[in-house]
Amino acid sequence: MRVLIIEDEEKTADYLHRGLTEQGYTVDVARDGVEGLHLALESDYAVIVLDVMLPGIDGFGVLRALRARKQTPVIMLTARERVEDRIRGLREGADDYLGKPFSFLELVARLQALTRRSGGHEPVQVTVDDLWIDLISRKASRAGSRLDLTAKEFALLSVLARRQGEILSKTSIAEMVWDINFDSDANVVEVAIKRLRAKLDGPFEHKLLHTIRGMGYVLERRSV
Amino acid sequence: MFKRPNGLNSIALRLSAMFTLVALLVFVLIGGALYQQVDKGIGLLPEAELDARFSVLESSINRFGNPDHWAKISAKLTLLSEEDKRIRFWAVSGDPHYEYGAPDAQIRAFAQSPTGVRDLYIPGKAAPYKVLINQIPAKEQRPALRFLIAINTETFRQTQHHLLVALISLAIIGVLLASALGYWVAHIGLKPLIKLSQEAQKLAPPRLSGRLKLSPLAPELEQLVSAFNSTLDRVEQAYTRLESFNADVAHELRSPLTNLIGQTQVALTRGRSAEHYFEVLQSNLEELERLRSIINDMLFLASADQGSKASKLTRASLAGEVATTLDYLEFILEDAQVTVQVSGDAEVNIETAHLRRALINLLSNAVQHTEAGQQIEVLIEHTGKRASISISNPGQAISAEHLPRLFERFYRVDAARHNSGANHGLGLAIVKAIALMHGGDVFVRSADGRNTFGLYLPV
Repeated sequence: MRVLIIEDEEKTADYLHRGLTEQGYTVDVARDGVEGLHLALESDYAVIVLDVMLPGIDGFGVLRALRARKQTPVIMLTARERVEDRIRGLREGADDYLGKPFSFLELVARLQALTRRSGGHEPVQVTVDDLWIDLISRKASRAGSRLDLTAKEFALLSVLARRQGEILSKTSIAEMVWDINFDSDANVVEVAIKRLRAKLDGPFEHKLLHTIRGMGYVLERRSV
Repeated sequence: MFKRPNGLNSIALRLSAMFTLVALLVFVLIGGALYQQVDKGIGLLPEAELDARFSVLESSINRFGNPDHWAKISAKLTLLSEEDKRIRFWAVSGDPHYEYGAPDAQIRAFAQSPTGVRDLYIPGKAAPYKVLINQIPAKEQRPALRFLIAINTETFRQTQHHLLVALISLAIIGVLLASALGYWVAHIGLKPLIKLSQEAQKLAPPRLSGRLKLSPLAPELEQLVSAFNSTLDRVEQAYTRLESFNADVAHELRSPLTNLIGQTQVALTRGRSAEHYFEVLQSNLEELERLRSIINDMLFLASADQGSKASKLTRASLAGEVATTLDYLEFILEDAQVTVQVSGDAEVNIETAHLRRALINLLSNAVQHTEAGQQIEVLIEHTGKRASISISNPGQAISAEHLPRLFERFYRVDAARHNSGANHGLGLAIVKAIALMHGGDVFVRSADGRNTFGLYLPV
């Protein structure tokens, strides 16, 4: 899947390039608005990551010129966390918006949301190693024995299981499980993971739920 | 620089112009009325004099009707007209023996006008004569005659003219005097104001602690001065808060940065295992997340400071929002073994994401300060035009000095900072910002072993 990054800040452009390439995307980078607009119009990208403050033409200018000809999905990045900017970006046709400082995981999640093909039906059952989850009857068992989970614990487990092998940040877990999409004073996700881990991994030698410090959590089978 | 009051907007000039206008109006009204009254009086004077003279003469003319007597009358009339040059007499009859004043043709014709007072214009005279024409019946040998007494109105006219000139010049002098005195009086009256503005000039930004003096002031200015001083109080407080906020921000950012720099330097001083680098990077990431969270919160507060208002308002039940929040906090409450009791409800227009954030901050603050086995009470009330959510928990009393400052940024009751994860001292400040963005406010009470934090929202 081809992604175009239009970003003049060298470090940002470099780590986005490396990170997204490792995530399986084919990445092109443009260092200013003129080059970026040219690439965006000439080639077909699945999604464009567009910085607002650019030399040459600024992000809004690029977006306007692009929207005159193409409907490629665009995520805008900006250091100015201002409501007017957000509203202006969305009104001029941006599909999503991330304020700097943003987390890389967050960006990946948004990219996936934009490029996810519609109509892809949700799985009914998920298995991770010896863990088995039925999303319809809302039951889970591990190594044949039933896990006694509360509704919230089950919701958390199914979010992690459907994206097995993918690191999920606390913010996106909170958003997917509780529909809370902002930082708050409460460390709810940590507490919830602790509880789920006790039931899921507690009695078993083989751990499935892993903490990636500073980033989030991942559910996967890891070879010892 | 202090600008001297001048130009058309000067209060002193405007006041004196108003004094002038008022004086002009008063003089014109009084002078006009006076002139009219006197004019009327003067207009009646000639007729009164004519009547008086006639009534004296009538009886002596009528006493006899012989030529001798007429000669006496004629002599008397001559004497009278010499005494008073304004007066002239004519007697007109068919018989030249019984006539007086050598009436010419004009007088003869005029004498035949109906009796009463009339104006007689004599060529060469500016003012007309007022003439009283009377019919005197025949007596003995004397035939009936027309007796005319005339008075020259010239002097009355002159008197009128003098009066007018005197009134006008008095008015002009009066108006000039009033405007000059008015300017002087206004200038004296405005002195306290000028002094006050000179004093206010000295209160430039670096010297915000100065205040305007209240003591020797006109009572009219006291309100202005106390309003000005209390504005200065608020500005100074905001200024001080801003300065200490900057210091706090620097402090909050400094400790994660110190960790980042230190750990990275230690890691790089010699070759390490891949695992060690992994450790360091993870630890760095935690510090960086802390920085990101502080910066995001500060950006949120800054946008609220810049007057950003809650948009995307939806009408929602506060009890419903509290329930959603409690659902989110379920695990935390269970871990802390704290229960929550909710009562009351109200419908308000809110931006749900913001309100939930405020509720989460308030409730997790309450949980942190509640001991296991105790209960937090959430009370939603609807009074008049506002709704309130109060969240109270049993706990140690907060001393009065802290209460008003709890919603300040980075304010902590215990000076020892516990830098635990998300809790970097902006939680309650964010609650306040959210309340203000909705046009509401926050409150805090500490009484009877319970601490209550809450917010008002307009309904």
